[in-house]
Amino acid sequence: MRADVLVIGAGITGMMAALHLADAGAEVRLVDAGENAGTWANAGSLHVQMQSRFMRLYPDQVPAVEASLPLYKAAAEEWVRLDALYGPFELVRKGGLMLAEGADQLRFLEGKARREAAQGLSVEILDRAALDRFAPWLGPQIVGAELCRDEGKLNPLIANARLMAELARRGVQIMRDRVVRLEHRGDGVMATGRNAAYRADQVIVASAWGAGEVVQDLGVAIPTKAEPLHMNITEAAAVSIGHLIQHAERSITLKQLGQGQIVIGGGWPARDRGRDMPPEVLAASLLGNVALAARLVPQIGGLRVIRTWAGMNTTADGASTIGRLPEASRVVMALPGDAGYTLGPLVARLAAGVALGTVPDGEVAGFAPARFAA
Amino acid sequence: MTQPLGHFTFDGQQVPLRPGQSLAAALTEAGLRQFRATAKGAARGMFCGMGVCQDCLVTVDGVPNRRACMTAATAGQEVQTQVPFPDLGSASVPQASAPARVIAPDVLIVGGGAGGLSAAIAAREAGASVIILDERKVGGGQYFKQSAVGAPLDAQQSDGAGLLARALAAGAELIGEVEIWGAFDGLLFLAEHKGAALIARPKAAIIATGAYERPEIRPGWTLPGVMTTGAAQTLWRSYRTLPGRRVAIVGSGPLNLQVGRELAQGGAEVVLIAERGPAPWLRPLASAALAFADPGLVLTGLRTLADLRKRGVPIRHGTRLERIDAAEQGLRVTVEGAGGKTAVTADAVLMNAGFDPQNEILRLLGARSTYDRAFGHLRVTRDETCATSVPRLYAVGDCAGLGGAPAAMAEGRIAGRAAAAALGFGDGYDLFADHRRLARYRRFQKHLWALHDVAPRLPDVPDDTLICRCEEIDAGQIRQGLAETPGHAGTLKRATRVGMGRCQGRYCGPVAARLVAAATGAAMDERSYFAPRVPIKPVAISAILAAEEALNDAR
Ligand SMILES: Cc1cc2nc3c(=O)[nH]c(=O)nc-3n(C[C@H](O)[C@H](O)[C@H](O)COP(=O)(O)OP(=O)(O)OC[C@H]3O[C@@H](n4cnc5c(N)ncnc54)[C@H](O)[C@@H]3O)c2cc1C
Ligand SMILES: Cc1cc2nc3c(=O)[nH]c(=O)nc-3n(C[C@H](O)[C@H](O)[C@H](O)COP(=O)(O)OP(=O)(O)OC[C@H]3O[C@@H](n4cnc5c(N)ncnc54)[C@H](O)[C@@H]3O)c2cc1C
Ligand code: FES
Repeated sequence: MRADVLVIGAGITGMMAALHLADAGAEVRLVDAGENAGTWANAGSLHVQMQSRFMRLYPDQVPAVEASLPLYKAAAEEWVRLDALYGPFELVRKGGLMLAEGADQLRFLEGKARREAAQGLSVEILDRAALDRFAPWLGPQIVGAELCRDEGKLNPLIANARLMAELARRGVQIMRDRVVRLEHRGDGVMATGRNAAYRADQVIVASAWGAGEVVQDLGVAIPTKAEPLHMNITEAAAVSIGHLIQHAERSITLKQLGQGQIVIGGGWPARDRGRDMPPEVLAASLLGNVALAARLVPQIGGLRVIRTWAGMNTTADGASTIGRLPEASRVVMALPGDAGYTLGPLVARLAAGVALGTVPDGEVAGFAPARFAA
Repeated sequence: MTQPLGHFTFDGQQVPLRPGQSLAAALTEAGLRQFRATAKGAARGMFCGMGVCQDCLVTVDGVPNRRACMTAATAGQEVQTQVPFPDLGSASVPQASAPARVIAPDVLIVGGGAGGLSAAIAAREAGASVIILDERKVGGGQYFKQSAVGAPLDAQQSDGAGLLARALAAGAELIGEVEIWGAFDGLLFLAEHKGAALIARPKAAIIATGAYERPEIRPGWTLPGVMTTGAAQTLWRSYRTLPGRRVAIVGSGPLNLQVGRELAQGGAEVVLIAERGPAPWLRPLASAALAFADPGLVLTGLRTLADLRKRGVPIRHGTRLERIDAAEQGLRVTVEGAGGKTAVTADAVLMNAGFDPQNEILRLLGARSTYDRAFGHLRVTRDETCATSVPRLYAVGDCAGLGGAPAAMAEGRIAGRAAAAALGFGDGYDLFADHRRLARYRRFQKHLWALHDVAPRLPDVPDDTLICRCEEIDAGQIRQGLAETPGHAGTLKRATRVGMGRCQGRYCGPVAARLVAAATGAAMDERSYFAPRVPIKPVAISAILAAEEALNDAR
């Protein structure tokens, strides 16, 4: 059977692309390998400001992220729209705090805030006295913070389940298969999976860490890489932490869910165990990540951690990849880039628009896959 | 038995305590059964009595979420009902307390029960250095459950005391009140010991963590006063506390009869024992097979039955629990048998419908296992020395799959010697006698359980019956989740939150796995269950801080 559009990958990006296509009346198929989607492991932070962890780890990718800042802001707003349409997803947008533990770090944040303000973000530097008015629970060593009002958080389990249900309501089924090859033909695309072959007029590639491999014969070398990451969650407490908490120098995100649990993460590594196993939690990450959280917000020290998990994030060059392949125009890429859960829905809408012809190629030129031409 | 010595307060009310008692025991003795309130406003109390269910939480001296069953009562404590959402600001912030202790024995033994103690003696006598870690203050495990408040109650407790003494005399160190919460590749164990961190890097490890009880998931099974049979046994055998004046026991298996007898001897009025399995005299062949497998053990069972009869305890075979309701005079227990439905009223309802192995550490470390259909649980794959598929990791006793205390002891002796020999201590030979005994015990277990009815079943309960105690997910929500996303137990978990709570799916997890298998037609195997993850028990962030500092210092 031939579809109008085949979407490869059923994470947040693939699901939302399929939803938009179905709503536009297209005949859509979704195929997913059912392996290590970041979407089912992620923490639901809506990231907008530049993540210091990322700036430190991948300094060469910072310019690309900086140019994407308006996209992040729009992506957070896209989530607010989805929350109204299909939610509630426990979405809260009180802003994100990036903490400084000394004068140097605060200066770093000041410089960062200036660059972000220039890109249209709503940011402000707060001193300790200002922080104490709404976050007295921060550790005594915190001297100040950058507040980015565009940031927020949501419950990804609820959002994923609701969006899956929306897809089911539209009759979009997810086929379990791994696509191993894509062939571009004059009149369509042929995707060969392990279980079956799929024909479609166009293909949207939303397979995250598995994307580079899928399109490697089509004239691009997209360096998508699986990055195993670690998360922790505590038992519930009365809700008192409204903001998303990060640090100016160290890897951490901390937030409280609507049901009271505290979710601690921020990109601490896990161990890859191959495609058919979730990554393994490492002792050093668990200890380091939670200990850091307890130093920044000492009051959580009285709670217990009840679970940790690990999942696959995807890295490439820091920016999103959206648009048609230069040598295979029926194949449209939909790769969100860093903080991919935040970006997923917006990237999906743009990619679906490209496939449907409602978003002109020029509108996504800044994210075109041509930059990876082999 | 010791006399009351001092008081603590529970929500301001004075509660007497006897030295050695747990908070849960002292509260039960005072007739207080409601320990915490859930997010949905339901009351909960002690259920498993062994640190697994996390339903007995109370706030102790301002520290929230302490398990009453695992916390010793001391005079002057201020204990409060646990609210579902403790205020972050009100709790005093525990600091990374005492410095962490780092141990590196030749052989680490996790669990000081029948299996663990036997392994310790064997490994130590071969010349290896041995440390045993146990969650409880007093070793002995479930079968040899020791008294915390006085002299041994009977021969079973004296035998256990003897085994404990032999292990210590052999030079094994036993550290109690150690909660292992993490196990990592290369045999690194992280634990909490009285608020401080304990880090173990042994050369070899023998896991002997035993089993926990499979409940009867029926309407009313989460009410305060409903507990596992083993919880009541611990109340009585360790703390000389009766679970209530009138006691009803439901489920299936020999433990129910044994505990019924112990409580009746202790002065409780056992108003009913409902056994799912048919009466043994209706199954003469199976009974004969059992007697043939081990006449000695059968005699003990017969004596239990005769004693229960003599005391006039009604035992109904072929009878299952229908529901439990809170009534004015206690708990109203409705059971259904061949003769229809009957109801009794009791202060405490005890349930045991089989056992599930505490195999979390083994699964975390990657030890392979297969599904045992007869028992409805995983059996860890082991060679004839009880070595698992993971190098230097052994498993003995019920944690590897149910086998009973005599088998656990034989396995412990075998694994203890083998682990020591693998490290160059002793020769590890001469296992013949233990292997022969082991074969006999295993035969006995097979025939014993054939007389009862512990085949795990899919819960045929109304939609509003809770399946997941912690997250309060009911059968209806799970059925809806199954209809939308069958896939895997993990998918069902993310869709419904089943198994996401503090107990980590100990009770609902096997149910979810079986429901998914039934819905998808897939066979049960080791991958059917929720993925094993650290921490295997909730761990205080203060203990994580301490472990982090200790490991940093070591670097
Ligand atoms: C632990 C963790 C925490 C995170 N926290 C956050 C956060 O708080 N905020 C945030 O914005 N981002 C976060 N992320 C990142 C975010 O989860 C991902 O970037 C995002 O989910 C990517 O969505 P996606 O739909 O593009 O890809 P994925 O969700 O990764 O889905 C890709 C899918 O494609 C499938 N696939 C791959 N190859 C093939 C193939 N050849 N054929 C068929 N199917 C294939 C995979 O099986 C998978 O199901 C986190 C990531 C992790 C791991
Ligand atoms: C509640 C209960 C009551 C029972 N009563 C009887 C009975 O009366 N008669 C009978 O024949 N059989 C009884 N059994 C069956 C009994 O468990 C076994 O036959 C026998 O005790 C098995 O010995 P073991 O060494 O494998 O485990 P156990 O004797 O159960 O010993 C396991 C030990 O490991 C410790 N432990 C577990 N997890 C951890 C951890 N993470 N960290 C540190 N320590 C840990 C426990 O505290 C325990 O002391 C009972 C089982 C249970 C669960
Ligand atoms: S009764 Fe205390 S943990 Fe179950």
